[in-house]
Amino acid sequence: MRTQAKIRSEFFIRSWAAFVLIAIYLPIVCSALAGLSKSRYFLFPVRQFSLDWWQRTLASLEVQTLVQNSITVALLVTLISVLLAFFGALAFARYEWKGRKLYQKLLLLPIFFPQAVLGLALLLWMNALGITPSWRTAVVAHLVWIVPVVTLVIAIQVYSYDATLEEAAIDLGAGRLFIFKEITLPLLWPGIWSGALFAFLLSWGNFPLSLYTAGADSTVPKWLYSKMVAGYTPMVPALGTMSTLSAASLLLLGGAVIAVIRRRRQK
Amino acid sequence: MSSALNDVAKAPLPILQLVDVYKRFNEFTAVSGISLNILDGEFLTVVGPSGSGKTTLLRMLAGMEAPSDGNITLRGELINNVPAKQRPTCLVFQSLALFPHKTVGENIEFPLKVKSVPPAQRKERALELLRMLRLPESYYGKNVMKCSGGEKQRVALARAFAYDPDVLLFDEPLSALDYKLKKVLEKELKDLHRESGKTFVYITHSLEEAMVMSDRIAVMSAGKIVQIGTPESIYARPETEFVAEFFGEVNKFPLVRDPERGWFSADTDSAVTLTLPDSLQGAQAATLIVRPEYMRFASAPDEFDNVIRGSVFNEYSLGSRIQYQVRCGEKSVLIEIPRTLARDAALDQQVMIGWNAADAFVAEA
Repeated sequence: MRTQAKIRSEFFIRSWAAFVLIAIYLPIVCSALAGLSKSRYFLFPVRQFSLDWWQRTLASLEVQTLVQNSITVALLVTLISVLLAFFGALAFARYEWKGRKLYQKLLLLPIFFPQAVLGLALLLWMNALGITPSWRTAVVAHLVWIVPVVTLVIAIQVYSYDATLEEAAIDLGAGRLFIFKEITLPLLWPGIWSGALFAFLLSWGNFPLSLYTAGADSTVPKWLYSKMVAGYTPMVPALGTMSTLSAASLLLLGGAVIAVIRRRRQK
Repeated sequence: MSSALNDVAKAPLPILQLVDVYKRFNEFTAVSGISLNILDGEFLTVVGPSGSGKTTLLRMLAGMEAPSDGNITLRGELINNVPAKQRPTCLVFQSLALFPHKTVGENIEFPLKVKSVPPAQRKERALELLRMLRLPESYYGKNVMKCSGGEKQRVALARAFAYDPDVLLFDEPLSALDYKLKKVLEKELKDLHRESGKTFVYITHSLEEAMVMSDRIAVMSAGKIVQIGTPESIYARPETEFVAEFFGEVNKFPLVRDPERGWFSADTDSAVTLTLPDSLQGAQAATLIVRPEYMRFASAPDEFDNVIRGSVFNEYSLGSRIQYQVRCGEKSVLIEIPRTLARDAALDQQVMIGWNAADAFVAEA
């Protein structure tokens, strides 16, 4: 009786898990299939498969510019946000100081702002300051939203970091810089890595902020949207699939790096 | 060299001196006017309940807190504001604070790396320390988090020794370990003290640890040192009820001075023979404290200075010793005797128990 009930509940758990996975991934698979269709138009089911549109996408100069823009923005955002967020996370989670509570709340506020509103607000500001929107201003816009996220990610690592280690290192004669290099940084590496990964992927996939603040420059998500609105070509799902696949492989790579760091530590 | 000169050279000098040291945190006074000489090469243990200020005291010695008032001197030099990294002291933390991302060897070598000692020399010293702390040399490359509790303890000690401090400070490093391991490490620590000749300042709330290891014990309560002396003197001649009770079980008898019968215990309805300390000469009331192991079963009423009657209520085996609870009317009294001397005291048997005035102590009421 018991085993039968167990088998039944396991069956339900597995079916539910499978359903959830299908619900999440099926649409992505569909768009991937659309990119592999020979047809000029979006027809489903796909009648004839071909790699034509993938080839054209890879060869397209326009797409190359887009990808270049997206990568440049994402890399800059990653670099700057990790730098800011690392010290921000120390202030967030490590040190007791007057106004820390307020700082913690203010820092998280941009995350709860709808991005469309945030984008509009930033655009208005740039206008007022007389700055022409371009991919550079998009970097600033991304930072406003991404720095808080990265700060949180790194802060989680900082919370699990035992500050007595620094005290012990001081007691053993070490100076600030030595401690930073030997103790603080190595122990916070996994958090910094996760933060960098988050920063890159969030910037890479960001649409609303880029739409408002990148001006005439286009990024991958922005282009995908504009092509859907007017001038559909199967390059849209093809580029979408490439973009998803590269983000996924970056995620896997990042995960592997963090796993290596952890393993080396547990040798 | 004449023997007189030898004696002078050997006389222990204070390495650390505290003069009227206070530490206040906002409204709270953690350390309240401590004056203390820590002698060169001694093993001094500071005991006290949690919140008595002993950790704050230790952190001031380490240079992690500056005193709010008073002076701390090291070999005669004022060090109130000398930071931890410049003091020849090293603190072994309660949590040990081992660097989790480093190997056993890298942990031990840390203070040497700070001083830019070349790697080959560092390794040589680390292996030497591993041997000194009875850890296998193969542990050099081991992940420190994979070590057992006792091994971590030894790694932390090795790291402290690698710094080569004059004074080692210990913040209850054994408190998290199981009883058996604790007993082993207590003795090892005392041996290490002897071998190294360094000054050890150890804080704990465990009386047992203090008794086993220390040359001197300082008892702290509410930010003050209430008594300081050898383990024997503190155990046998506590100056206050607090110290007496902190150091093990005691029988307490409230006494009053009766005009006719002299010192009198209302609990047992008997006159008491006692030796009154000078400070209580004029007192009309006092508390008599007798440790269970100074009490004995009496075969005659005049065998001891004081004898009371009661009946055996229960017995507790303590391994090599046996404790009896004897009820004298409403009052219950504990007697502890070696198992080899144990007499068969049946439950509810009427007995006489006694003690000598010299083995009891009298504290303020």
